[in-house]
Amino acid sequence: MRRPTRRRPLLVLVAATVVVMAADVAGWPGSSDLRGAGAAVLGPLERLVRSGASGPVDAGGPAAGRVRLGYETPALGRSLEEARRLSSLLEAPATRAVRFVPARVVAVGAQGASGPERITVDAGSRDGVTKDLTVVSAEGLVGRVVSTGPWTSDVLLVGSADLIVGVRVGRAGTLGSITGAAGERPRPAGQLSLELVQRGTLAVGDPVTTMGSAGGRPFLPGIRVGTVSAVDAARGQLAPTAVVTPAVDVTTLDIVGILLSTPRTTPRSPTQGASG
Amino acid sequence: MIRGLSVLGLLRFLAVALAALTAVALGSRGVGLVPDLVLPVVVAGALLSGPSSGALLGLAAGWVVDLMPPGSQVLGSSALLYAAAGLVAGAGRREGRAPIGWVALVVAGSAVVLAAGRVAAAVLTTAPVAWVDTALWLGLTTALGILAVPPLLWAEQALARRRPA
Repeated sequence: MRRPTRRRPLLVLVAATVVVMAADVAGWPGSSDLRGAGAAVLGPLERLVRSGASGPVDAGGPAAGRVRLGYETPALGRSLEEARRLSSLLEAPATRAVRFVPARVVAVGAQGASGPERITVDAGSRDGVTKDLTVVSAEGLVGRVVSTGPWTSDVLLVGSADLIVGVRVGRAGTLGSITGAAGERPRPAGQLSLELVQRGTLAVGDPVTTMGSAGGRPFLPGIRVGTVSAVDAARGQLAPTAVVTPAVDVTTLDIVGILLSTPRTTPRSPTQGASG
Repeated sequence: MIRGLSVLGLLRFLAVALAALTAVALGSRGVGLVPDLVLPVVVAGALLSGPSSGALLGLAAGWVVDLMPPGSQVLGSSALLYAAAGLVAGAGRREGRAPIGWVALVVAGSAVVLAAGRVAAAVLTTAPVAWVDTALWLGLTTALGILAVPPLLWAEQALARRRPA
């Protein structure tokens, strides 16, 4: 007699879950609050499990300083390795002259059938991190912040089917877009699909960098995304397509930087062309 | 009975939360392919309580996975997948002690439900499917389930005996 009574709450809860799913897909703002609540409660636990007693990543810390000065001590172990990674992030082109919050990856989401799509880093709204900021590693673009909690932030990775990045390709800077979705052509998992938005030529080895967004959100310009590894044979379409190998291996991420893009506040000064 | 159930429910919740936390933390330590650590808890609970309760347990466990940062791409998707896995596992409930072969079959069936859901989600978003990794994940998850479910069953039964209805 117990089973029918259990079946009713099950059906109600499944229906409620389907409604939340549909609302999340449709962009319901309440889903951000739900994620934020989860991050506020569970984020500190993840930080504790991952970081232990080593504390947050500090770009001005003694270990980072020792590495920069060349006094490396193998006995320091993991903190030294972390300082080395932080040092290479500080010197990377992606962080040049940009204010950023260094952060450690504390969680990698459950792998979908095409690989990890989301990660959590140990910097949140208390560290000045907000939604739609660019996340980079020393090698290049990692993804963008999609949700923040007080102590942690969730990052949608490059290669996720839901992330589309406007890019420039090659020396000519031809405009295109990159996504993890395969579209009509089959792609190996972990590779990105590039589609130009205009006529142009693509060659294997062409560098792919971000085009940049208005106000630097979600992407700042000029950050390395990857390299063209194969150009698709033309099948009558106007703009060519290609496969891009990402610059960042998302399965081995450790220290990342969240770029604090600041919108332009000083108006650009007007200028005058040469007169007759 | 209600008190016994609530203690069991709390312990199951803690086990699921611990498993979900361990899984995302292992991923951040560079472990490439992490088997599903939540599924054994769901399967063990479902094998003892039947399909409806198994699906309820799966739904609750899936919500923990959905909300454990960084969470699922679509909120609620893991909840539905684990509910389906719990339903399948609960359908495998047998009176008396379940033989290990039967447990292995139920674990494999539930893992296939999860893997099929993930592949379907990838296909729906036109993302490429890493078939080799998915097959390895399925094998690892089934192997872990075969090892972990019998002790979990034993622990649940021992707890139920300590708190008779």
